Amino acid sequence: MKSKTSRIWIGILVANAFAMAVMGLTAFVFTYLYHYSNGAGTQFFIYSDFIIIPMAMGIICAWFWKDLELKNGYYLVNALLAVIVAILCSFLFLGEGVICLIIVSPLLMAFIVAGVFIGKVMFQKKNNKLNVSALSVLVIIFTVDSLSEHHYENLVTDTIIIHAAPAEVWKHVASFEPITEPNHYFLFRLGMPSPVQSTVDGYYEGADRKCIFSNGYVFDEKMVVYKPSENLTFDIISQPRDPEIMGHIDIKRGQFLLHDNGDGTTTLTGNSWYQLYVFPVWYYDLWAQSITRNVHTRVMQHIKELSEKK
Amino acid sequence: MFVFVVKYFGFLKNIVFLPHLFEGWLKIVTFVKSPKVLDTMDEIESEVMSWEKVSVSIHKYGGIQFNKGSHEIGHIHGNGLLDIPFSKKVQAHFIEEGRVLEHHTISNSGWSSFYIRTLEDKEYAIELLQASYLMRQ
Repeated sequence: MKSKTSRIWIGILVANAFAMAVMGLTAFVFTYLYHYSNGAGTQFFIYSDFIIIPMAMGIICAWFWKDLELKNGYYLVNALLAVIVAILCSFLFLGEGVICLIIVSPLLMAFIVAGVFIGKVMFQKKNNKLNVSALSVLVIIFTVDSLSEHHYENLVTDTIIIHAAPAEVWKHVASFEPITEPNHYFLFRLGMPSPVQSTVDGYYEGADRKCIFSNGYVFDEKMVVYKPSENLTFDIISQPRDPEIMGHIDIKRGQFLLHDNGDGTTTLTGNSWYQLYVFPVWYYDLWAQSITRNVHTRVMQHIKELSEKK
Repeated sequence: MFVFVVKYFGFLKNIVFLPHLFEGWLKIVTFVKSPKVLDTMDEIESEVMSWEKVSVSIHKYGGIQFNKGSHEIGHIHGNGLLDIPFSKKVQAHFIEEGRVLEHHTISNSGWSSFYIRTLEDKEYAIELLQASYLMRQ
């Protein structure tokens, strides 16, 4: 029993040590050589980091557990233990924040579990398939992915109808009073910084704008288009980097467009352009869009309330 | 949930490792909702593996696949869904018994589906796999 437990833990620890070593290697070799972005210090986390490595971790665990005659349920529980250790290691050694870990955990969980069960089949005595070929596929995908160019930018657009004329709405677009409304989005409630206030040093093209977040983070922006009652476009000059999600996404540009509906109402459109540094896009862009959309909603809803105040 | 995902997102099954992601989650959900299904799958696996010339592999869309030589005799998904390739005649016989359905995505093919939900389903699942096994004599 004791040796069974220790064998389970050895599998978990070896798998995690392997993951840390490989991620360290990719970060300092492949990522540094091929992707390091403009000296700003943004590190890419690629498809392989979240898919191939967790699957390989699961397979490593299964190799250590292959002679223990574990049932499916035990394989699963132990795989989930490996996930918890992986999350702790990411927190301690990779410096990832809590929000990041919440976002990444469904991927880690599913792929480590998948890897464990793939490994279970691979190491069965009556498996007639060549395990070397399965591992080779993982290694090839990992290498090709690590050496490939990773660049992804996207735009998120939201609109809101405001019962006020464009001239009234415009007063609250470039800068606005602090938002005091409680947060409803679950990630903001869990501690992710949310927008609070915007200030400007002037109302003209080229003026500086600051967007202040709930934890004191400041996005420094420059207004590149300033057309009263129509268009405010600003480029993000600098943004905070921290272990939370802001280290994995760069907001490039923001825009507010006002459209006079001719009936005393205004359609306010918010656009944000961003670049992602975490892959696969099919997973992380869902989160990026959700977060950006909720930043938009919070600010635009505030502008609506200020504009409609009698 | 399984039927919904397969029906509306099944077209994504060829994205590398996406079916395995789904399979991983299926197993976690099954473990939480009905852990006995996983135990039953264990017992079915042990029984089938004891048959002559049977080997296992990973099914291309996730799950465990049983083979006799180079022929598949069936596969089980993480939620306990057993899919078996029968001839249409054998399929008709089992459908008439009322516990087997046409395959959840491939109709008119002989492929059949059976949901393993309780320990009592073990014997019937083994019977189905055995029929498939014997077809490949």
